[in-house]
Amino acid sequence: MKPSSRAKERIFALALIAPCFLFVVTFAFYPIIYSFYLSLHRIILGIPSLGQPFTGLENYRALLHDRIALHSLINTLMFVFISTFLEILFGLVIALVINRHFRGRGMVRAAILVPWAIPTVVSSQMWRFIFNDQYGLLNYILYGSDTSSYNAWLADPVYAFSAIVAADVWKTSSFAALLILAGLQVIPDELYEAAEIDGAGAWQRFRRITLPLVKPAILIALLFRTMDAFRVFDLVFVMTQGGPADSTNVLQFYGYKKMFTEGLMGYGSTISVVVFLMALIISVIYIRVMGKGMLKAKNA
Amino acid sequence: MNNLLRSVGGYLMNRQAVRHRVIQGIFMGIFVLLLLVPAGCTKKAEEGKTTLHFVTWKPNIPEAWEEIYSIFRAEHPDIELVRETGPHSSTAFHDLLTQKLKNRSEDVDVFLMDVIWPPEFAAAGWAAPLDEMFAPSERKEFLEGAILANSYNGKIYGVPLFIDSGILYYRRDLLEKYGFKPPRTWQEMVEQAEKITAGEAGKGVEIYGFSGQFKQYEGLVCDMMEYILSNGGNIINPKTGKSGIAEKPAVEAVRFVRDNIIGKIAPAGVLTYQEPESLDLFIQGKAVFHRNWPYAWEVSNNPKRSTIAGKVGIARLPHFPGGRSYSTLGGWQAGISSYSKNKEAAWTFVKFLTSERIQKLLALKAGRAPTRKKLYGDAEILKAYPHFSGMKDVFLTAYPRPRTPLYPAVSNVLQRYFSKAISDPSSDIEKEALSASQEIDRLLSLAK
Repeated sequence: MKPSSRAKERIFALALIAPCFLFVVTFAFYPIIYSFYLSLHRIILGIPSLGQPFTGLENYRALLHDRIALHSLINTLMFVFISTFLEILFGLVIALVINRHFRGRGMVRAAILVPWAIPTVVSSQMWRFIFNDQYGLLNYILYGSDTSSYNAWLADPVYAFSAIVAADVWKTSSFAALLILAGLQVIPDELYEAAEIDGAGAWQRFRRITLPLVKPAILIALLFRTMDAFRVFDLVFVMTQGGPADSTNVLQFYGYKKMFTEGLMGYGSTISVVVFLMALIISVIYIRVMGKGMLKAKNA
Repeated sequence: MNNLLRSVGGYLMNRQAVRHRVIQGIFMGIFVLLLLVPAGCTKKAEEGKTTLHFVTWKPNIPEAWEEIYSIFRAEHPDIELVRETGPHSSTAFHDLLTQKLKNRSEDVDVFLMDVIWPPEFAAAGWAAPLDEMFAPSERKEFLEGAILANSYNGKIYGVPLFIDSGILYYRRDLLEKYGFKPPRTWQEMVEQAEKITAGEAGKGVEIYGFSGQFKQYEGLVCDMMEYILSNGGNIINPKTGKSGIAEKPAVEAVRFVRDNIIGKIAPAGVLTYQEPESLDLFIQGKAVFHRNWPYAWEVSNNPKRSTIAGKVGIARLPHFPGGRSYSTLGGWQAGISSYSKNKEAAWTFVKFLTSERIQKLLALKAGRAPTRKKLYGDAEILKAYPHFSGMKDVFLTAYPRPRTPLYPAVSNVLQRYFSKAISDPSSDIEKEALSASQEIDRLLSLAK
């Protein structure tokens, strides 16, 4: 039987997406599934005589009772909330500023992207120096040559955590700004003109026009930042190694330590799977909310 | 020129076609490159030559190592030595090397091992046992502690290359000025530090009493172990084989560090210091006492790097009243991968690397303390490092960290506990010690 032209077209379509599909399967699905498989086993590299026994959900049960994991989860969530909130806030302010017409705007726009363009390991190293207790810039700015009042920022649990948040906010606010700027640029000037004629003040214009119309862009920025913040690793690795007193230990770093330093492949994978599931849940919630927002915007 | 090209191009085809051509060209170029890369990587071994991969870290003093490699190349023209340089930090190097060994990489023949790794590498089957090649008579030439560190379940897995042990450095000029002798107890050290810093502050000189390594990392375990052992305490109680950190002497030692050292005679910043940062403070003349490994002697007496060259004294670490002085054993070993296909050539290289003359070279040019006993009587070495003769028994008695294949996991528990106990002045040390102790016992029972 000769295949119909429709079936032919379908085969052709499948053939076209096959390379991309294979790519995703190899580099995204396979590692995720393999991590899940590992997480159901007890694998300790240092003691191969244990073999790789299947232990079912034992690792997950252990994780529930792991107070260090809980502590790093709380750290991670605090990091996500605080840093994402600040990044969106600063991102919005930056976007509003660089959306206006002024001399040298192109330069400013480019300059604002610089922190984001620097690799995180490099900027973390830079922040580590800024917060250094002996020759750090922050101490110099605050206390000048009065070295006796210099503060060891990264030695204090609260300050160390804040330092990591600050470094992240500095680095990625511009990314949020970029996304929000894209949203701002599609708002037609006529709306503002009309509102101005009707006597709306600057604040009213912002509340009633800018904010609702830029909301989808903010949500996208929020989604990206939440996911990224959830997987924070390099900042902690370079700046504090989780210390002092575990105050900057985050889930990803804890999982890395378990897997690569301690050789607990099964348990480490369990942590990765849990991080993956949490990120998945967060993104599903966001997409739902965003989808609704978009629909409303279309219907309106 | 550009215009000319463009007009010629326009004559041959329109602009769009040019763009397509360019894009096609780029893709073709990438494609060809991708084909060439693997071809370029597979070096053809020269006839009769054995290729030997040596995984090492980035050295502090590269010239000394270059000299070693060139001697080896000259003496063994039949072996092509390929170096793979990993990170300087022990933990990062561990992660890289174990990743390769886990994958049974053939690109590893000989590797360097930190003193805490042999049990793990042996149990995991990564390091090949060297008993046949490394004869017991030969082992007698080495320091006992270093040989013990390389043994696991009655077999030997590495040859000690150089040894490290904790040493107290002090400002000889300042101690003399205030009429002090090097402190014998930790309390004496605190008193001397307080008097000297107060006296110097009166003259407008800012100086701290002490600097050491208290960041949450492997070095924290080394430093804290010295306090605990010198108070008669233990990390692992040798009698019971269980954790000793919740026992009274251990808890007291930790409390002493929290209450008298961190933020007191030492700046609070030591909670963020590894070796280089703590040494910086000392060589800038901003600390009276300093705990570090032997290499700090070379650096702090180097007038190019140090403001206190020639003013440095060296002594055994202090102890608590009634205890005795302990130094943590560190150092590096050469091991051979179980997956190596050139074990014979690998042994040739290991033997060469750990030989008397190369250890002497490392001692003279890189400040590394040898593992061969004989070298502690060598006239040239003693001339360059007069303290080696007085410090010999520090090296001889340096104490190893717990020896278990799960050491990395045990160390992480210890690091977390110590960091928590010393960085928070209100921490409940007994409670933290107890829960860390239980965690360690659980890990130790797994490894049995």
